[in-house]
Amino acid sequence: MSVPCIEVKHLQKYFKVRGGFLRATDDVSFKIEKGKTMGIVGESGCGKSTLGRTIIHMHESTGGQIFYNGKDVTKVNHRELKELRTHMQIVFQDPYSSLNPRQTVEQIIREPLYLTRKYSRQQISDEVTRLMELCGVEERLRLAYPHEMDGGRRQRVGIARALALNPDFIVCDEPVSALDVSIQAQVLNLLKELQQKQGLTYMFVTHDLSVVRHISNDIGVMYLGQMVETSESKELFAKPLHPYTKALLSAIPSTNIHAQRERIVLKGEITSPINPKPGCRFAARCPYATPECGKPQQLEEVLPNHFVSCHRCREINEL
Amino acid sequence: MDGKKETSSTSQPFLEVKDLTVYYTVSKVDTKAVNGVSFRLERGKTLGLVGETGAGKTTIAKAIMGILPTPPARLMGGEIHFDGQELTALPEAQMLKIRGDKISMIFQDPMTALNPVIKVGDQIAEVIELHNSFSKAEAKKRAGEMLEMVGIPASRYSEYPHQFSGGMKQRVVIAMALACSPDLLLADEPTTALDVTIQAQVLDMINDLKKKNNTSMILITHDLGVVAQSCDDVAVVYAGEIIESGSKEDIFDHPTHPYTIGLFGAVPELDTDEEWLHPIEGLPPDPTNLPEGCAFSPRCPNATEECRAKRPVSREIAPGHFCRCLNITKEA
Repeated sequence: MSVPCIEVKHLQKYFKVRGGFLRATDDVSFKIEKGKTMGIVGESGCGKSTLGRTIIHMHESTGGQIFYNGKDVTKVNHRELKELRTHMQIVFQDPYSSLNPRQTVEQIIREPLYLTRKYSRQQISDEVTRLMELCGVEERLRLAYPHEMDGGRRQRVGIARALALNPDFIVCDEPVSALDVSIQAQVLNLLKELQQKQGLTYMFVTHDLSVVRHISNDIGVMYLGQMVETSESKELFAKPLHPYTKALLSAIPSTNIHAQRERIVLKGEITSPINPKPGCRFAARCPYATPECGKPQQLEEVLPNHFVSCHRCREINEL
Repeated sequence: MDGKKETSSTSQPFLEVKDLTVYYTVSKVDTKAVNGVSFRLERGKTLGLVGETGAGKTTIAKAIMGILPTPPARLMGGEIHFDGQELTALPEAQMLKIRGDKISMIFQDPMTALNPVIKVGDQIAEVIELHNSFSKAEAKKRAGEMLEMVGIPASRYSEYPHQFSGGMKQRVVIAMALACSPDLLLADEPTTALDVTIQAQVLDMINDLKKKNNTSMILITHDLGVVAQSCDDVAVVYAGEIIESGSKEDIFDHPTHPYTIGLFGAVPELDTDEEWLHPIEGLPPDPTNLPEGCAFSPRCPNATEECRAKRPVSREIAPGHFCRCLNITKEA
């Protein structure tokens, strides 16, 4: 197989807090092939955004390794980081707060181009025109400020800015969560179109399971900083194996009013990621928990290309 | 559901909203938030109000509750009949008695709906004390029971909102809304701020409690999945008008208005594999400057000259199924 665009091995990001460490991302490993989309799902506070941000070096990782096109980029100096930033970009969740309110659309999109100091004024201006067209931002908005635009347009500007330096890997951190459904579909289609045109690789972080199923090739399910299941997208929805994934999928309200689905309603809530106990972090809410669950769990290939971190997985699913 | 034939024995529906019109006026500019909304709701039933941001859903609920911020809001017309009373004509002193007792509301954002410097238990007890002739101690005891009912140990009565997680805060807000066993519950996006597994818990709980007390509910949401799960009837709101209404089956199995069809096409579905979504082109209209004809006509794929000139009326296309569209005369 070819070299994956992104590969992380045992990636770790701990934040020091009073009384210990907040383990936002703990021993996470996966790879994303070139031109594919990896969806990361999980509930708020499970560390999915931290994971994305650690990979593109917005946070410094505290352990593990990150590979970009086969090259170890875990530790980079200032100059290397600048170079790396032209390859990896991010689209933020909230198009209302991620754009500078005092900059025009043109200024926002050209900023990254300026910073490289590689282009002339004319080149930059042409490039902004191209990016705006590519992302469907009307030329008349060139001198508009963010407050003059609706959420969908703002998100298009955010995407244009991320694409300015021709990156090949983009972390999309809940890019459509703040948008209305009719606008959400426009932005999702744009992201997909750009991927096909430019061969982009995405890591798509979201809590919206129908969106992630629509856009991803592979999906990783996170719970409290750990990856509990990874698989090909359709397989995951057809055959969830981890008890948490099962509960999560069954909780999605379906628009099909005739489908009789059995819902698993979990008890309790997500526990604290500060100094968690060893072993499976889902055990406290898991209907299948046994004392054995107190031992550390590893992702294991249960079915071809379908990894699950649960020692009772085979038994529960009768595999 | 304007003009809907009664099925229950009572001739007077439990809640009937007629031609409700609300404008917000700021600097002499009218924002037409609600434009002639009419619907009925029977006892024990749930009506889902679906629509996008700014469609006027919350304004409808606030008008029923009588908590429109006036000014800038102005009730331009319409009647709200609730259990034999006309709410818009009631003096504030009487509304005070109804609000929180007979009609109560669950607000969207639990993080801002609670007072950060008052103990959660006391916030619930306050409602109970106001509407019942309970002593302080009795109200406290009852508030503790309400907490238990929504799955929070009564031992946490004396904690403050910041000590609770989002899901628990939302449950406190629900406990508060249900404290006086209201006849009508207005739930404004009660689960939007919550994670799916918590959303499932909260929806289940609301549905159980509703059944127990035979409460009617208006559930405001933009999530079609939530509607499918919890509602009997559905009304789709666009630019302050109900553009389509009917039973859940009418709307989900036979969506008729182009906007409703567009909404269904825009959400990725779990059991179909479509490469591309079908977004609705364009944007919702500016409520300070609504189009002359049908409000949806600028975005509608089937719009004709007539649509752009004439405001369509709501027509019954099947028993109980209403649609506000000039191009649809009878059920397809």
